[in-house]
Amino acid sequence: MARPGRIRRIIAAPGFARVGVIVAMFAVWEIAARWFVDPLFLSPPSRVIASLGTVLRTPGVPAALQVTLLELSAAFALSVVIGLVVGLAVGLQSFSRRTFMPIVLLLYGIPQITILPLFILYFGIGPASKIAFGVSHGIFPIIVTVVAGVQNLKPILLLSARSMGAGRWQQLRWVIFPHMIPTLFTGMRLGMTGVLLGVLLAELYVSTAGIGYFTTLFTQNFDPTKLLGLIGMLATMAIVLNQVVRRTEEKFSKWQTP
Amino acid sequence: MKNRRAWHQGIASRLVQAAFLLGGLILWFLATTRWGVNQLLLPKPGIVLQNLADILASGEFVGDLLVTLTELAAAFVIATIAGTILGYAISRSRYAISVFEPLLSGIYAIPLILFLPLYVLFFGLGPASKIALGATISFFPIVLNTIAGFGQVERSLVKASHAMGASDYQLFRYVLLPAARPVILTGLRMGFTVALLAIIGSEAIASLAGLGHRIVHLSEGMETARMFAYIAFVVAIAVILNAVVSGLEARGRRP
Amino acid sequence: MKDEIAIRVRGVSHQFGEEGETRHVRALLDTSLDVVRGELMCLIGPSGCGKSTLLNMVGGLLRPATGSVEVAGRPVRGPMPQEIAFVFQENALFPWNTVFENIMLGMRFQGVAKDLREPRAHRAIEAVGLTEFAQHYPSQLSGGMRQRAALARALSLETDIMLMDEPFGALDEQTRMILGEDLSVLLARTEKTIVFVTHSLGEAVFLADRVAVFSARPGTIKQIIEVDEPHPRKPDFVTSPKFTALRNQLYGLLHDEIRKTVGAPAGEAR
Repeated sequence: MARPGRIRRIIAAPGFARVGVIVAMFAVWEIAARWFVDPLFLSPPSRVIASLGTVLRTPGVPAALQVTLLELSAAFALSVVIGLVVGLAVGLQSFSRRTFMPIVLLLYGIPQITILPLFILYFGIGPASKIAFGVSHGIFPIIVTVVAGVQNLKPILLLSARSMGAGRWQQLRWVIFPHMIPTLFTGMRLGMTGVLLGVLLAELYVSTAGIGYFTTLFTQNFDPTKLLGLIGMLATMAIVLNQVVRRTEEKFSKWQTP
Repeated sequence: MKNRRAWHQGIASRLVQAAFLLGGLILWFLATTRWGVNQLLLPKPGIVLQNLADILASGEFVGDLLVTLTELAAAFVIATIAGTILGYAISRSRYAISVFEPLLSGIYAIPLILFLPLYVLFFGLGPASKIALGATISFFPIVLNTIAGFGQVERSLVKASHAMGASDYQLFRYVLLPAARPVILTGLRMGFTVALLAIIGSEAIASLAGLGHRIVHLSEGMETARMFAYIAFVVAIAVILNAVVSGLEARGRRP
Repeated sequence: MKDEIAIRVRGVSHQFGEEGETRHVRALLDTSLDVVRGELMCLIGPSGCGKSTLLNMVGGLLRPATGSVEVAGRPVRGPMPQEIAFVFQENALFPWNTVFENIMLGMRFQGVAKDLREPRAHRAIEAVGLTEFAQHYPSQLSGGMRQRAALARALSLETDIMLMDEPFGALDEQTRMILGEDLSVLLARTEKTIVFVTHSLGEAVFLADRVAVFSARPGTIKQIIEVDEPHPRKPDFVTSPKFTALRNQLYGLLHDEIRKTVGAPAGEAR
């Protein structure tokens, strides 16, 4: 008796329609690629998925993917550490905040893509430049978030800690730091977006090694199948990393007022 | 006591900022003149300025600037038309919003620059691939903000207008549009900013013309001083464009 | 009866802003006070009269512009966590910690030995009646329960002196009554010296041994009233004639001061 009602509810749920939309998009892609577009320019999803194995067997591709993943992790970790330290240094005192925040915001606003060639010039075409460029994108949202987080710490909490005898280090460790954690995770989510952009931008730019080499290769050989396969794998990597950070952020906000 | 201290702090802040800037310039000067840093890595500030003056005076930048601006304009126009129309259409139904909004946010979360090689394969190295990528990336903040803008118009306003006999067009023009305008304008500003970044970025990676390409070309030719000059030029253009767009947004948001 | 002076305040004054500035405010003017060991002294007065300022000075959180403060015979130069514990009106519990963790952290700041902390924490939580809620977060508690937790944290520090700045100020009248009664019972068992700032006349008479009445800004102590009634105070003390007489006396003293702060009623000439 409850069956038809339940089925109707499942169909009515937006998630169901979303899956439907995604399936429809893939269907359009499949049909267009198979019968309407020159196979030199577009490849249907069925063929792309089937050829994933071939892509991975291309010498150098698994290594490039691994290196990219490592670069992303390293850039992210560095961004968090540097962003947190700089954010605290700038945000804890009103003088340093007044002085340095405008400089931070100024740097944040520069279109960093213009200095990408400089990064390659200084750090070479290996992972170092990719990590550096990733960090350069990742630290700014973290710094900004950390500074904002320190600012919205209720002064009464520090006053109370002082009245109970807490020294500077204790205030930092037991009051400021725990207060910062949810804010830090929000900053980390934004930072991850920045790191992804920076690292992948640098990877695509360098056409003589890494991912950039293969995207250039597949493009010049008019091999959309392999190209889509590679892009698909990178996009999946990006989605997974974003999700991991997002989930951790949600877990750590549990003590906030509902 | 507190007011005077605040005033002192303000001046001290400015001094430190100026010192920072000055210190940076002095370091640059010293590094290139006294400490023997390789000219190909860090050119002398004087030479960079010379190059910049030369670029501006000779009008050499015009060709690349025009290419970049045209690509930017085309990409932004396409994204705006598609984004606002689609955004409005989706905003008409709560169900549609709940289906499409998470999908669109989800896609936007991926670094869409990844699709550049695809567009290059499809459209070649010419402006078309840049316009396509710029439009793609720019589309998302516009559509998402349009959905948000129209979606948050209070139901009560809509109901009251219907009760007073407003036609669909009147409802749109006199209720929905003014209410949604501030959010949509913000979306347009964001769309413009990311379009500019996307265009310059894709010119740097795979192009034959445009400001992004020019910078890369100079770096490959080891003409570092001229590259520095162009970087300064492009940053200045970006700052000006963004300031203009922000100003327009602020103007448009005033009731 | 011990007449030892626990807190000695001499000629303190304080101001915010500089003379001649629009923001200049003289909060306290040449105020002196002696608090006897083991008594509960209430500070009451109109808004802005400096009672919280005085409390912060006693606790070492604020330096007086003139005058001196001595606690337990020593001049106050900064917070004295071994001697003084605070309970603030604003919620000063750390929101990311449970009630239990909040209390443990307070003791860590004070420097209590690790193995002594847990039993003390449990004792304090029991004393305020929050045993069931020890593992709750402040956001899960009502206002009254949060102040109980803040009180427990102050108690666990086992100081001789407790300074309470309108601790029940943000609570509704009924919760205030209950908490006031519980506080009286609790304090009867200890020998702490307490300075308690309040706006409520009834609260002052119910809890205090002595009530210091402040004048309007710039504040100074106008008069000190004695409440001669043994602790713990019973609920029926509130309805007794003695209570009413004292309350009326306070009202009389305060009314003019409050008017000075707020202004003459509409229609009356100044």
